[in-house]
Amino acid sequence: MTAATELWTYRNLIYNLAQRELRARYKKSILGWAWSLINPASTLIIYSVVFGVLLKGQAPDMGSGREGNFALSLFCGLVVWNFFAGTLTGSISALMGAGPLLNKVYFPAACPPIANMFTIMLQAVIEGGILMVIMIALGNAGPTFLLFPLILVFVGLFGLGIGMVAAVYNVYLRDVNYLVSIMMNVLFYMTPIVYTLDVVKAELPSWAYRLYTLNPLTQFVNWSRDAFYLLQWPSLPSLLGTAAAASLTFVVGAAIFQRKARNVIEEL
Amino acid sequence: MASDNAIVVDHVSKRFRLYNQQAGSMKEMVTKRRFSRYEDFWAVDDVSLEVPHGSVFGLIGHNGSGKSTTLKMMANIHKPTSGTITTDGRISALLELGAGFHPDLSGRENVYLNAAILGLRKREVDAIFDEVVDFSGLHEFIDSPVRHYSSGMFVRLGFSVAVHVNPQILIIDEVIAVGDEQFQRRCFEHLYTLRKQGVTIVMVTHSLNLVRTMCDQAAWFDHGKVKTIGPGGEVVQAYISQVDAAEAARLEVADDRARLAAEAEQVVSQDLIAASERLVRLGEVTLLDGNGEPTHLPTAGEPLTVRLSYRCVSPAERPLFSFAVLDEQGVLVANPTMRPSHHDEKVYEGEGIVDYVIPRLALTAGEYRVTIAVHDSQATRVFDKREDALRFRVHAEDQLQGMVDLMGQWGSMGDQEGSSP
Repeated sequence: MTAATELWTYRNLIYNLAQRELRARYKKSILGWAWSLINPASTLIIYSVVFGVLLKGQAPDMGSGREGNFALSLFCGLVVWNFFAGTLTGSISALMGAGPLLNKVYFPAACPPIANMFTIMLQAVIEGGILMVIMIALGNAGPTFLLFPLILVFVGLFGLGIGMVAAVYNVYLRDVNYLVSIMMNVLFYMTPIVYTLDVVKAELPSWAYRLYTLNPLTQFVNWSRDAFYLLQWPSLPSLLGTAAAASLTFVVGAAIFQRKARNVIEEL
Repeated sequence: MASDNAIVVDHVSKRFRLYNQQAGSMKEMVTKRRFSRYEDFWAVDDVSLEVPHGSVFGLIGHNGSGKSTTLKMMANIHKPTSGTITTDGRISALLELGAGFHPDLSGRENVYLNAAILGLRKREVDAIFDEVVDFSGLHEFIDSPVRHYSSGMFVRLGFSVAVHVNPQILIIDEVIAVGDEQFQRRCFEHLYTLRKQGVTIVMVTHSLNLVRTMCDQAAWFDHGKVKTIGPGGEVVQAYISQVDAAEAARLEVADDRARLAAEAEQVVSQDLIAASERLVRLGEVTLLDGNGEPTHLPTAGEPLTVRLSYRCVSPAERPLFSFAVLDEQGVLVANPTMRPSHHDEKVYEGEGIVDYVIPRLALTAGEYRVTIAVHDSQATRVFDKREDALRFRVHAEDQLQGMVDLMGQWGSMGDQEGSSP
C-alpha cells in the first residue's frame, strides 16, 4: 500500500509526464491536435472503402435495426485494441525512455508507464468520441454508451498489468520486446476484431469456444461492440468476470514491477 | 538518536555486475547458462557514515572511488546490495541539472515538469515559479523552447528549479561547477543561504577548497571504502598529502622518461648549437629540501635548493647558469639567471654543481616544469640548454589562488579599540 500512496503523492508527475508526451507530440505541426482526430478518421474511411465496398465484409445489424456496417463493427474492436496495444508496448518504451532520468532523480519507476497509459487513453477517448458521433448521426444511440468509461478503466488496468511486467523483463532481456510484438500480432487475430464472435461460435467446438471467450480481450471487444454497435448490455458474468480478471492482472503485474523495478534502474 | 541525523548510512555495500558482452539475449541465456557472463565489482564496500541535520557533508576521492554511487544510494536512486540507508526529510538530488528537460517544450513548461519530477505538486510549483525564473535570470526566454537555450542557460534553469523545491536534504554531485562566474557565485551564495536555513547538504566534489570552506564534515573515499571521516579541513589535508605523494611518484617516473627523451633529442639540439661552442654541458637538475634530501614534492614556504650539475668539455670562463620555472600551461613563472657579478671563480673546469638556494618557496600548489640553460660570460652564446629537464609539484597547506605566495603580513591601522600604541 505504501507504493500506492507514494504514487498518489507523485500524481502531479504522472500528469506532467503525460502532458509532456502530448505537448511534444504535436509541437511544430500546423494542424497540431487535429491529427489525433484525422488519424482515426482516416482509418475509419479506409476500412469503410476496403471492407464496405471492395471486400463486402459481413456484419450483424445494428442495435437500432439499421443494416450492418462492417467498418463500424471493426472500429468498435479497434478502439479497444489500440488502447490495449498502445498501453502494453508503450509501457516498455516508456520505462526504457525514462532510464536516464531514473538514474538522475528519484521517482517511482511506475510513473512513466502509467503516464503513457493516460496518453493512450486520451487517444481512445477521441476514437470513442468519433464513434459515438457517427452512431448518433446514424440514429444508433443508447444508454449503453455509458459502458465506455468502464471499458477504458479495465482495458487500461489490464494493459498496464501486462505492460509493466513486460517492461521490467525487457530491461534484462531485449528479446521481450520482439516477443511481445509477435504475440500482439497473434493476439490481434485471436480477438474478434476483424470478425465477430458469432463466426467463432459457429466454427469452433463448444469447449474451444469457451476457452476462446476466456480471453479478457475478447470480452472487452464484445463490451465495446455491445455498447456502441448492438446497444445491448453485456451479461453479468462477462462484466464481473472480466473486470475481476483485469484487476487481478493489474495487481499481480504491479506487484512484480514493484519488486523488480528498483534493481532494474541501474541496468537501464 | 536517529532523529539527530538526516542520513544514516549503515554498513552499505553496492555490487555492480560488469557484463562481459553486450546485453544478453535469450539464446545466450540458454546456451551459456553455466558460464558466468559477468564479473562482480564492489563499487561501495561496507561504508558507514552519519550526516547530522543541518550540516554540510562532503564526499571526496579520486574517480571511481564510490563516492557518486554512495550519493546515488542516499538519493534513493540505487538500492544498496547490503546494508541500510535511513533518511529523514525531503530529498532533492542534483545529479544532473535540467535532467528531464524536454527540448521541444518551453522553459516554463519544463520548470513545471522538472519540479514535478522532484516531487512537487502543481500548487507548490505555482508558488515558487517566479522565484525560479528570477534566480535563473531567463525572463525573456522562459516561453521559448529549451532547444534554443545555450548550455549555460539550460543548467541555470535546471539549478534554479532544483534549489527552489524547498528540500530538507540537498544532494549535489559536482554540478555547481557550471555556468559563468557570476552565476556560480550566485549558486554558492544560495547554497550558503540554504545552509543557514538548516538544509542538510551532501556534496560530491573535486573542489577541495569548497570542502574546506563549506563542509562541516567530509569523508574520503578510496576504492569503495571510507578512508577518513572528520572535519572538512582535516580530511582535505590528509587527502592532499596522499595525492601529492602519489603525484610526486608519478612525476619521478615521468621525469625519467623525459630525461631519456631529452637524451634522444640531444642530437637535434646539438645541431642548433655548434659543437665547437658547447664548452659546458648540463647534467641533471635536482631539487633538495631543507634537509638536503632530493625531492619532487617541495613544500610551499619551506627552503628549497635547485642544484644544476655540469661538465666542462674545455675550460670555460665564467659561464652563466640559469633556469626557468613554467607552470602547467607553459607560462613563465620565474627565471633566475646568474649575472657576471655573481661569480667568484674565473674559470670552470671538469665537473661540478651549481646551487640556487631559495630561503622560502613562494610558489603556490600545482605542477611545474623546469628548463635549464648555460651561457657564455657575455650571455650571448648558448653553451647548452635542456627544456623540460624536471617536473615537480608543490605541496601547500593553503590552497591559494594565483601563482605566487607574496608572503606578506596583514596588519591593520586606524582607530581600533584596545590597540596598544
